[in-house]
Amino acid sequence: MALFWKHRDFVIFAILLGVALAFPFMGIPRFILAAVLIMYCYATVVSQWNLVFGLAGIFSLAQVAIFAFGAYSTALLGRYLEMNLWYSFPIAGLGGILFSFLIGLACLRLRGIYVALLTLAVSQMMFVLIQTDAACSALNKAINPMSCVSFTGGSQGLGDFGSFGWRAVLGGRNWMTGDYYTMLGLLVIGLIVTYLITQSRMGLAFRALRDNEELARSRGISQYKYQLLVFGASAFLTAAAGGFYAAHFGAVGINLFGFPLLLFLISMLVVGGIGRLWGPLLGAALLMSADEVFKEFSDWRNVGLGIVVLLFMIFLPDGLAGGIDKLHKLAVRVFTRARTA
Amino acid sequence: MDFFVQIIVSGLTFSAMYALAAVGLVLVWGAFNMLNMAHGIIMTLGAYFVLMWAELAGLPLILAAPVAMICGGLMGAFVYFASAHWMIKQRDFETTIIIATFGLGMAMEAGLLKLLAELFHSSPYAQPLSMGADSFLVAGVPVSYQRIIIWGAALILILILAAFLKRTSFGRAIRAVAQNSDAARLMGVRVRNVYIAVLALASALAGVSGIMLSSFKEVHPLMGGALMLKAFIVIVLAGLGNLTGALYAALLIGMVEATVKVLIADQYGFTAILILVILALIWKPAGIFGRSTVARQ
Repeated sequence: MALFWKHRDFVIFAILLGVALAFPFMGIPRFILAAVLIMYCYATVVSQWNLVFGLAGIFSLAQVAIFAFGAYSTALLGRYLEMNLWYSFPIAGLGGILFSFLIGLACLRLRGIYVALLTLAVSQMMFVLIQTDAACSALNKAINPMSCVSFTGGSQGLGDFGSFGWRAVLGGRNWMTGDYYTMLGLLVIGLIVTYLITQSRMGLAFRALRDNEELARSRGISQYKYQLLVFGASAFLTAAAGGFYAAHFGAVGINLFGFPLLLFLISMLVVGGIGRLWGPLLGAALLMSADEVFKEFSDWRNVGLGIVVLLFMIFLPDGLAGGIDKLHKLAVRVFTRARTA
Repeated sequence: MDFFVQIIVSGLTFSAMYALAAVGLVLVWGAFNMLNMAHGIIMTLGAYFVLMWAELAGLPLILAAPVAMICGGLMGAFVYFASAHWMIKQRDFETTIIIATFGLGMAMEAGLLKLLAELFHSSPYAQPLSMGADSFLVAGVPVSYQRIIIWGAALILILILAAFLKRTSFGRAIRAVAQNSDAARLMGVRVRNVYIAVLALASALAGVSGIMLSSFKEVHPLMGGALMLKAFIVIVLAGLGNLTGALYAALLIGMVEATVKVLIADQYGFTAILILVILALIWKPAGIFGRSTVARQ
């Protein structure tokens, strides 16, 4: 048991990966496969957010904006430059890094609370700018002379920019499987990156800053530098996940910048456990399942999510992963006491 | 010249709403480092309370506004007992309370949307307190009586608030808690009552701000969100916890927004003030009036 606990991260990872790889061949209905692959996408975003918030301690609410930025960049590149989406994902990712560096340069020297408010304002600004973008764009006239679509699609959203292309390779029945493995690949990369960053010098620096800030600073660890690095690094996969999201649905919309998506993702982070390795995956899996189970009550979705977030922050601010850790510590203590007695 | 008058007229209206919304946020932050993300939905609720009391309960309009204000205050107390009361001892209270009240606010907003579908048939509603477009001309620019009332109400409420904070013993208790809550507790101030009162006060003012916004637009379930973000921008620009600074910042931001809206285009107002604030914060990270703070450090 103790041996398992020591290597639990690798064991859990191997088991989950095996199940996930075999999943499409278990005769699962397609709508569940579709929900699971969206769950992978959200889990990637939340795991990167977890790096920013949980590890680096940056209270950024711009993660959803970076995700939407990636989705929109992919859509715009595919629509106007007719770029193959597989090329536009890395470009969207690099764009995401640039975008987040700009936000980071402006915000990260400020106190934590200011960061939260300003990043929220930035995403609201993008929402307003796209929503009010109504002028017919000459680029769209070239695509379809009869229609009036603005450059970003405005409040109607944007479509017709291509997809992963699995339909051509795997045929009309199995393209979803292609999308599934693509998203799974993204999530695996996301989890590995998260793990490597927490084990790297950067992770060490943040642990040092958290444990004793004065000492860490006096040894020459610059919080600002490392925070900016994590902020940029996590933006790459976040924006790429946005691109994958756009490619899977074949459309992007203004709701990507909205508060309901922010609430959904923040509830995954909170339920799973902020700053825990498995928190984002756990939270994403639980909330996506809840979303499917309670589909008929979808009118009350945001009421439920809001209350869940509130209750977790009051009673279990470390999330379920934190709760499990606490239980394990308690069990170990009880067990050792029983043995010595 | 008429551009100039137009900017002043709409700028002062924005400023009045931002000031009322921001003053409450500053008071709450000053008292116990809480940023209330449910502030926006309380603004919306303020506008709806007028609608409910006037249209459903048939209260005369002159009574509906103060009653709606009191209801807004009660919502503030509700927010305290639903979130902050249980969390105030948490390690990262500043952060966790933002997430918790964000959840609470979203739940209230979604619940309101659901409830409204039952109570009123169509969502955007005309504010009964609105006086419509009746106006007089100043240098060729129409100035509606509605705006005069908004400016007057904002000025009177802020003066009453200032007198309350300076002259009454409860106001002194609020300032004492903002300066040092432990010392205030030792001097016999019931700190918890101050927390509740401050949140109620802030929410009552937020409700009035929401009524003002709805009086020249319309009552809409999602109207509070953008107003709340602008109030946040105001207090960030002023430096958190700075009361007079927030009033100046509200004036500045209202004027800048009006200038951009009149001279360039409506949709760039928010972008302009956000860029202004970010530049100001790069120049002075603690806010432009950040020196004389009343917040606990």
